Amino acid sequence: MNYQTLTPDLIQQLSAIAPGRVFTNGDINEDYTHDEMPIYGKAMPEAVVEAASTEEIAAVMKLCNEHCIPVTPRGAGTGLVGGAVAIHGGVLLVTTRMNKILNYDMENFTVTVQPGVLLNTLAEDASSKGLLYPPDPGEKFATLGGNVSTNAGGMRAVKYGCTRDYVKAMTVVLPTGEVVKLGSSVSKTSSGYSLLNLMIGSEGTLGIITELTLKLIPQPKETISLIIPYPDMESCIATVPSFFMHHLNPQALEFMGKDIVISSEAYVGKQVFPRKIDGVEAEAYLLVTFDGNDADELDAVIERASEVVLEAGAIDVLVADTPALKRDAWAARSSFLEAIMADTKLLDECDVVVPVTQIAKFLVYVDSLEESVGLKVRSFGHAGDGNLHIYCCSNDLEEDEFKARAEKFMEAVYIKATELGGQVSGEHGIGHGKVPFLAESVGEVNMRLMENIKKVFDPNLILNPGKVCYKL
Amino acid sequence: MELLVCIKQVPDDSVSVSLGADGAPKLDEIAPVVNAFDTYALEMAARFKEAHGGSVTVLTIGGDATVPALRSCLSVGADHAYKLAEESVCDTQGIAYLLSKASAKAGEQPFDVIFCGSESTDASSGQVGAQLAEILGIPVVTNVLAVEPREGGVTLKQETEEGYRVVEAPCPCVVTIVKPNYEPRYPSIKSKMAARKMPIGDLTAAGVEADAAQFGPEAAKVRRVAISAPPQRQSGVKIQEKEAAEAVRRAMEMLAGQKLI
Repeated sequence: MNYQTLTPDLIQQLSAIAPGRVFTNGDINEDYTHDEMPIYGKAMPEAVVEAASTEEIAAVMKLCNEHCIPVTPRGAGTGLVGGAVAIHGGVLLVTTRMNKILNYDMENFTVTVQPGVLLNTLAEDASSKGLLYPPDPGEKFATLGGNVSTNAGGMRAVKYGCTRDYVKAMTVVLPTGEVVKLGSSVSKTSSGYSLLNLMIGSEGTLGIITELTLKLIPQPKETISLIIPYPDMESCIATVPSFFMHHLNPQALEFMGKDIVISSEAYVGKQVFPRKIDGVEAEAYLLVTFDGNDADELDAVIERASEVVLEAGAIDVLVADTPALKRDAWAARSSFLEAIMADTKLLDECDVVVPVTQIAKFLVYVDSLEESVGLKVRSFGHAGDGNLHIYCCSNDLEEDEFKARAEKFMEAVYIKATELGGQVSGEHGIGHGKVPFLAESVGEVNMRLMENIKKVFDPNLILNPGKVCYKL
Repeated sequence: MELLVCIKQVPDDSVSVSLGADGAPKLDEIAPVVNAFDTYALEMAARFKEAHGGSVTVLTIGGDATVPALRSCLSVGADHAYKLAEESVCDTQGIAYLLSKASAKAGEQPFDVIFCGSESTDASSGQVGAQLAEILGIPVVTNVLAVEPREGGVTLKQETEEGYRVVEAPCPCVVTIVKPNYEPRYPSIKSKMAARKMPIGDLTAAGVEADAAQFGPEAAKVRRVAISAPPQRQSGVKIQEKEAAEAVRRAMEMLAGQKLI
């Protein structure tokens, strides 16, 4: 593409649209050059616009579309695939100032928010009203606009589904600067193509979300978590389908290996997961949460769950039934990524999703790559929905050598995942880091359909170029 | 040894408390939990029992609302639990008095060591352990990190401003516990289920021969006259690098990133 660079005149026009909130050159905060996965490279935008309204975003898009200036939308920058990095320069359009919870509809259980509201902010605010926003991605300080743009999943997806299931409506600025409203508060629809669903998970390549109406549910009154240690990863993973076969319906069902638990506990400074029980070393764990509205019923559920897992080879079942115990149990899980990053100089990640019944087979294969590729492998994930977070790491290699090996590792991982019926990303998205793997996984026809959809929305290909399906 | 752990049920301390229009803390929506320092005390007592024998009894002042807290204690190492329901008590001196009376009736044998959390996470007065020892006329060692048995008494590791002090005390004695370098255990499903069936002893002020003139509102020597909220703290960023040099480097980076230096 022949993108134009920003001229002083265009910067002046941007400044007129967003007075005092346009930054250039040395005034651009370095954080805006990357997301949380620096291995995909840094890129300095020509200008950062911290937008404050739908109208401002529409005006920016109109201006940039007319002058063929690339625009990269960005929330809190917590992505892991380079999706919010301005790899083709131009304008980085930041939505974090649009951070207001606009209103709750307590009769229809919805909340309308600006896209820059943080997940954590909404979760706490909804909770204070006795409501639950079920999507629960690990990164609590991501923006809701970012969550919707990647169809983020998280721990509670196994029971409640992903972000997509909680988006009722949205306001979107198209690359041309037109403003459209998608979806509505109705419960069902059969009214043409679902542009709402097309926008969800499109990673800011089709439009910029400027307002969201999200579904809430009444907050379950009770939750209990179980820490379930196993003597080996195989028996740990093999238990997972049993939860569903016995209709136990956990809210969250996570697996983790001993090594990553030890790293994470060292990182948070608190040991919670038992290392040895009655002389048996724990090598893997399930961390499970159940929710409900009746404490006695929930007790009955955890008793049944305990019978099932002990029968299946668990060493013991520890119960986190107080706020402090639950918090501590989940603190370690929530810090896995930070713990890995703190321990590692170079790392790359994939968040493939495979059928639940294939997790064990897939993990055995992934572990075998550690030796053949020559990289340290760390894995954990959402056992209940087959979404695995797999990291390849090195503290010794030069960056070029690491990248070469990581590419080989990722290729092998994605080929295996596809072979087992899996997909490239469960919740992080494609960004620009995973485009070739998506192409390989979904095939030529699917990629062509996606590229053509992109062109319909964005004829000049200015919005978030080089991401998802369009490798420029 | 026979060990008694005095516990208090407090509002979950991870939840920020706001004041109502009447100036009182709004606690209705906040889950009650066992005071964190008391959970450390219970864990220390349970470890002591497992290493050296004996039994652990927990005791609280409160009505039926304290049953979940006591069951929770029974699931993580306590062998017996008692509650003394008495609503008129209103200062630490009164609580300590009732505990002193109840400690003579809870359990079949006199207690050798009485564990208290060093303070509660709600009122944070830090008085009850010392007052209890005073009333019972026995020694008290505060800010204890570890307890080991010795002939006729216990050896205690005490936290001080400068470091640690090792002291000895004869039994019976009161010890107030601060955070040790381990965490309270999680109940197993088996211990939790067993705790559900264990009896909880009911005591009353009259039953333990407590004199109402010693603990009621009339006896209270300290009276709360007002509560105010602390000033709001500005949000911050936690730097968690292990090495000091690395932490400084990270802090410099962040300051530079924000164009502050």
